[in-house]
Amino acid sequence: MAVTKPTPARRARVILDTMWSSGTGRYALVVLALWALVALVSLFWTPLPLLATDGYHVWAAPSADHWLGTDGTGADVLSWLMAGSRTNLVIAGLTVIGSAALGLLLVGLMVARSTALASVSVAVVDALISIPTVLIALLLAVPFGASAAVVVGACSIAYGLNLARVARPAALLAARSQYVESARANGAGGLRVLVQHIVPNITPVLAVQLSMSAGTSVLAEAGLTYLGVGVGAGVPSWGHSLSTSVKLINVFPLTVLWPGLVVTLVVIALNLFGDALRDAGDPVANPLLREA
Amino acid sequence: MSVSVRGLKVDLGGVEIVHGVDLTIGDGERVGLIGASGSGKSMIAKALLGLLPQGASLCGGISMGDAAILGSASGEGNGGDSAPASYADERTLADLRGRYVGTVFQNPARALNPVMTVARQIALPLRLHYDLTASERAERVRAMLGKVGLSDDVLNKRPHELSGGQRQRVGIATALITSPRFIIADEPTTALDSITQRQIVDLLVSLVDDAGASMLFITHDFAVLSRATTRCYVLDEGRIVESGNTADLLAAPETAPARELVTAARRLTLHAGDTSRADEGGVAQS
Repeated sequence: MAVTKPTPARRARVILDTMWSSGTGRYALVVLALWALVALVSLFWTPLPLLATDGYHVWAAPSADHWLGTDGTGADVLSWLMAGSRTNLVIAGLTVIGSAALGLLLVGLMVARSTALASVSVAVVDALISIPTVLIALLLAVPFGASAAVVVGACSIAYGLNLARVARPAALLAARSQYVESARANGAGGLRVLVQHIVPNITPVLAVQLSMSAGTSVLAEAGLTYLGVGVGAGVPSWGHSLSTSVKLINVFPLTVLWPGLVVTLVVIALNLFGDALRDAGDPVANPLLREA
Repeated sequence: MSVSVRGLKVDLGGVEIVHGVDLTIGDGERVGLIGASGSGKSMIAKALLGLLPQGASLCGGISMGDAAILGSASGEGNGGDSAPASYADERTLADLRGRYVGTVFQNPARALNPVMTVARQIALPLRLHYDLTASERAERVRAMLGKVGLSDDVLNKRPHELSGGQRQRVGIATALITSPRFIIADEPTTALDSITQRQIVDLLVSLVDDAGASMLFITHDFAVLSRATTRCYVLDEGRIVESGNTADLLAAPETAPARELVTAARRLTLHAGDTSRADEGGVAQS
């Protein structure tokens, strides 16, 4: 009987198919695909240029000229939201990479065979995790100024610490398992054990935590930009759109509604994406993946 | 590869687990280490691999072939030496593990990475120790799979899709894929049913003999030991209390721990029918 060799492409296809088969997974995939598509399109086209303002139509309701209305400067809300999706996508992506790198480094130290190193790492993570994301952002903003990099840095540090703390029990179970002992008995070193044996066995936890990090980075960007330590003035982002319109929420609620709605839909999608990926990407839980 | 353990003492957290064990395994010889649970068998196996828990302190010496892997600064651990001993550097040990020393573990359900396919699992030591192309590795994995009696169908399966016997065959294939010169089989049949136990022991013995490797077979079951080894050591509370030809020891054990293990093996396996009839008689009389 011929044996089909598993390939990353085939595995990815099975994972996507499995996610698509559930309602929540389908919602997450549609919203995230739309987000990526809009970010891509905004590179070449927005309904109006970002700097185009119409002083006669400020805080305008949705119309044929401005599909989602205008803000206090008469700028097109949809154009700014489309351009903002790009910034938020980059922030979310870099936050996932940053928090994964820091989190996995810390996980590696926290489950090290050296009990002294592991104990010190646990104590350091427990101490640092008490520092709020806003405070980290404020500290980073002092030397670097308000920028997207500050948001990414603050989120990566805060969520990386959180990831390490949440993933540690699962990683510890894997690190003390007999299959890791078996790998060491075959000559595997510490880094290889971490990458090939511990990390693949904690991917369900990582999938959920990293998707939550991406979602929370969208919320953090909005909050930090409102506080003045997020993305710089004039840089389009969903946080920027929210902060410029929130002051007059009682008078013109619609302009707040659009960025608020986008943020909410995307954060929900990211959280559901993590859950769906966890279930679809686990070869033990997903029989289709075993046949891929 | 010949293996020599001299005056090995293992201390864990201030408690001495192994008290001066001397053990030799000749080139191509199959030697057993038998003892009750908690007698220190697995600690000796871990000491041979240099994989004892952090904080363990050792005395004595271990050498494999020409390489001294554990020794004290004052010499190579000559039995009476109580000076703390240290291992060769980690690089030397890592090169030894998997390449020259293969290990078959007790519980194959736990010893195989649950998310790794059989093909990747078996190829692991090859990836670590040999610079082979993917197709060369795949070829060797298929050949090894055939030797342990598994078909290519299992290549892309994960451990939970296999039976206990199949898992242990994968474990044996992983241990033997690099043609190591010394095999440590740490209770490889304990988690298996009696029929599979026999198949696995016979498979392991034939593969080890074909490869001309030596083997340390650790077990608490004399019935299994008698099939797998020619010579054995009896371990009791961290001390070797008896050693000799396995068949002779099984026929006439001299020490109390050895007698206890032999009696248990006879009652459970060798003369189960006689024992049950004797028990029935005892009940009837009472």
